[in-house]
Amino acid sequence: MNDRAAVRGMTLADSWRSFRTAISLGWAIEANWSDPFLFAVYTMAKPLAAAGILVVMFQVISGGQNPEFLQFLVVGSALWNVVFGVMAGLVQSILEDRERYRMIKYVVVTPTSLFPFLLGRSLARVVTAFVAVVLTLAVGVVFLGVDLQPNLLYLVPAMVIGVLSVIGLGIFMAGWCLQLRQEAWHYPEAIAGALYLVSGAIFPIDVLPSWLHPIAYASPTTWWLEASRRGLLGHGSPGLLGGISDGMVMLFLVISTAIVIPLSLAAFAWFMKRARQAGLLDMVTGS
Amino acid sequence: MTRYRTMATNPREAAEWSTGRVIRSNLRAIVGRAYPRVIGLTREKSWLFFEIVLPFLAVSAFVFVYRALGAPEEFVGFVVLGGAMTAFWLNVVWMMAAQFYWEKDQGNLELYFTAPMHLMSVLAGMAIGGLVLTSSRALAVIGIGSLVYGVTYQVQDPLALAGVFFLTMIPLYGMGMLFASLFLLWGREAYHLAELLQEPIYFLGGVNFPLRAIGPVAGVVMATLPLGVGLDALRQLAFENVEGILPVGIETIILAVMGVVFLVAARLALGYLETLARREGRLTLRWQ
Repeated sequence: MNDRAAVRGMTLADSWRSFRTAISLGWAIEANWSDPFLFAVYTMAKPLAAAGILVVMFQVISGGQNPEFLQFLVVGSALWNVVFGVMAGLVQSILEDRERYRMIKYVVVTPTSLFPFLLGRSLARVVTAFVAVVLTLAVGVVFLGVDLQPNLLYLVPAMVIGVLSVIGLGIFMAGWCLQLRQEAWHYPEAIAGALYLVSGAIFPIDVLPSWLHPIAYASPTTWWLEASRRGLLGHGSPGLLGGISDGMVMLFLVISTAIVIPLSLAAFAWFMKRARQAGLLDMVTGS
Repeated sequence: MTRYRTMATNPREAAEWSTGRVIRSNLRAIVGRAYPRVIGLTREKSWLFFEIVLPFLAVSAFVFVYRALGAPEEFVGFVVLGGAMTAFWLNVVWMMAAQFYWEKDQGNLELYFTAPMHLMSVLAGMAIGGLVLTSSRALAVIGIGSLVYGVTYQVQDPLALAGVFFLTMIPLYGMGMLFASLFLLWGREAYHLAELLQEPIYFLGGVNFPLRAIGPVAGVVMATLPLGVGLDALRQLAFENVEGILPVGIETIILAVMGVVFLVAARLALGYLETLARREGRLTLRWQ
């Protein structure tokens, strides 16, 4: 029997209520339970330090020459916060609710779908990630001379489509991690780390070994970063990607996102079905 | 029925054991707490994979940045060595500093406080086990990183290199012991604190670039951060013509002093924590 059969009349309003409640819960766990000063320092220090490492590396080697590369580094480092924030947000929300707070089984047996709950629950981390993006870019502009020339007509669709693709990847990861044991906590970092390497986040993909180039071209994060750089800086990355026209970059972003999202949703549905059947929703791995 | 009365303020005093038995119990506690980490070397294969792959991915990203910038090849060696030391730092942050907090969540901390061994023994066991576990990961990062990226080392004095490495580990894990108490006191902030002690410390510790590149801030690092001091000394010993912040001899003395300071501070913090845990009774409770 379908476990949703008894629930009639579930509406968008019900899902919206779940989403809103989950946002409050996620924010409470992420921020309200923290000391506000520590939370502010944590939100600012981590992304700025990550960008700072790259800036110092750049200064040590180039002595401040080649400002285009510095802009490439700062924008890539700033935007990567979103990828990690979305992935870690979705995966850790589902794992925390299963392993630490042990609430996910209760959420699943309520009439609402887990999906809006999961999105709402992870939103606090996503918002924090966007704060990190703005902060890193602001520091880049004010202190490092990063010359932003935003083209909103290109940037806004690139950001919307790109973030959707990253959410798609995060949803896939969340479903996948539900199937795993203790190592699940490491997966967002591992996958985000691998994507960081192949997406041209902080170096042009030309320097990667050639066997990694097809993976780089297949990843929506590569096209999102490239499109966002063009939208923010007015020019593309140095190297191979920089030679592709703006229209083609956007097209590749749209195509890769259009593939990732339905695949992720289908995979998440299958993972959830398997989790219910195999009793994985109330599994505690002792991690 | 005899009513048991004691003036003891903790289980160690209440046990009224001979010195020999106290020593044996504490040694057993050290071995017992180190055991899961040492045995985990082979049992948790997935951890082995992640703990090598994650630092290796980070190392690779920074290596490619240097290559894109056309940096001299010794910088690749700097990054590989920094990546290996990162494994130790991550172990200190997540498996030492945050460990008491996780133990509380799992309900073990109450047992520690009621057992008649010293909590320093538990922390020492964690540190020894963690050191063994992480050494294998760090060696793998150095081995794979050096092979894949063709790093060559010019070690003139292997004994000095090994000595500085072990001397770095003492204040590093001493710092972890100190943080274990502090993280527990700060309660739910443990996760944020652990996160906060990553990128900012990699930046201040000069994990991916020569420490002197951060200018006067390096002086503060020299006085407070064993990771930065140890890494600066190790780079001078592992590569030729590397100009450190200070000569290796002075950095060795700084590491030795830091070792004593952090271990004493850890013991004091633990004593305070124990008093607080007994007086207030909620420090060891889950979800608090």
